Amino acid sequence: MYTLLSGLYKYMFQKEEYCVLILGLDNAGKTTFLEQTKTKFSKNYKGMNLSKITTTVGLNIGTIDVGKARLMFWDLGGQEELQSLWDKYYAESHGVIYVIDSTDEERLSESKEAFEKMISSEALEGVPLLVLANKQDVPNCLSVPDIKTAFSDSAPKIGKRDCLVQPCTALTGDGVNEGIEWMVKCVVRNIHRPPRQKDIT
Amino acid sequence: MLFREGNSFAKCGFFSSLFSGLFGTREMRILILGLDGAGKTTILYRLQVGEVVTTIPTIGFNVETVTYKSLKFQVWDLGGQTSIRPYWRCYYSNTDAVIYVVDSSDRDRMGISKSELVAMLEEEELKKAILVVFANKQDMDQAMTPTEVANALGLPALKDRKWQIFKTSATKGTGLEEAMEWLVDSLKSRQ
Repeated sequence: MYTLLSGLYKYMFQKEEYCVLILGLDNAGKTTFLEQTKTKFSKNYKGMNLSKITTTVGLNIGTIDVGKARLMFWDLGGQEELQSLWDKYYAESHGVIYVIDSTDEERLSESKEAFEKMISSEALEGVPLLVLANKQDVPNCLSVPDIKTAFSDSAPKIGKRDCLVQPCTALTGDGVNEGIEWMVKCVVRNIHRPPRQKDIT
Repeated sequence: MLFREGNSFAKCGFFSSLFSGLFGTREMRILILGLDGAGKTTILYRLQVGEVVTTIPTIGFNVETVTYKSLKFQVWDLGGQTSIRPYWRCYYSNTDAVIYVVDSSDRDRMGISKSELVAMLEEEELKKAILVVFANKQDMDQAMTPTEVANALGLPALKDRKWQIFKTSATKGTGLEEAMEWLVDSLKSRQ
């Protein structure tokens, strides 16, 4: 009886919470992506003026509910010096979104370096990985196949974890829904990282 | 009865938000905290009058109204000496943001600064407050970088609060503008 009731309680009032990291070089569009996600998935969110977003030197957070799952985002600063803070969040993450500026061919190798360092971390083993080829609205930007080619030798390091490269434009919102929905599906089915139980308040 | 009360509250909230929407004048309450000698008072008067004033250690508090980008702030600068830090908590309620000032050149007292910050952030009344850290005194040669300060303060352990760190020099006036701009935008877009 207790099990039944507590099960019912859980079913009705508890959300399964998953933590998702948003990483990538500075100016890739991480905070814009987070703001766009919050605007799209929470009804009453007013949102920031996207053109006013400045460099993050710290942490931005956001929470959205998709079905029974609650995603909590950690958007960290991407400047080189700040990348040393990234690994402090790995152990508690259920998913990683890595944002790439598709218009910045010059820094693509720098981005790849940071990416490889990140996925080599043991603390992130088996964690679903969404790679966003951002700023697709800019003409002549790198396409998804271009980015896949450039990152092809990282494949062994990605290993068996779920991985998707998704074209997107955070500024207009194109590709945001697809990416988030994929991420939700993956974190929910990843049995190796069970969610945190959170009562709805 | 309860329902009515809730209802009138909602109305009140509606009208006040409509009012502030129309005139943008809801006063935000901001606390400036940090150890003694970090530069809190200098920052307050830099923000208010745009000048460096000669300060003496604050015993008690300074409070000023600062208007920035049509947002009105009530800024409280509380004394930072060991003996008066316990009184900080008397000012926590209804705080929208905390500016935590650190003397970036004072490596020896980083640990104390960290424990004061950690204790402060555990307070229920500050759960919703935005945290801005000023890594102050960046004009000094031996100043720690913002990342070093962030690590020393244990900021990466904060997982459910928006925070940002800025390098500032209150005496030179650098970094303050940028930090305030960020704070204004963050306060405006709060969920």
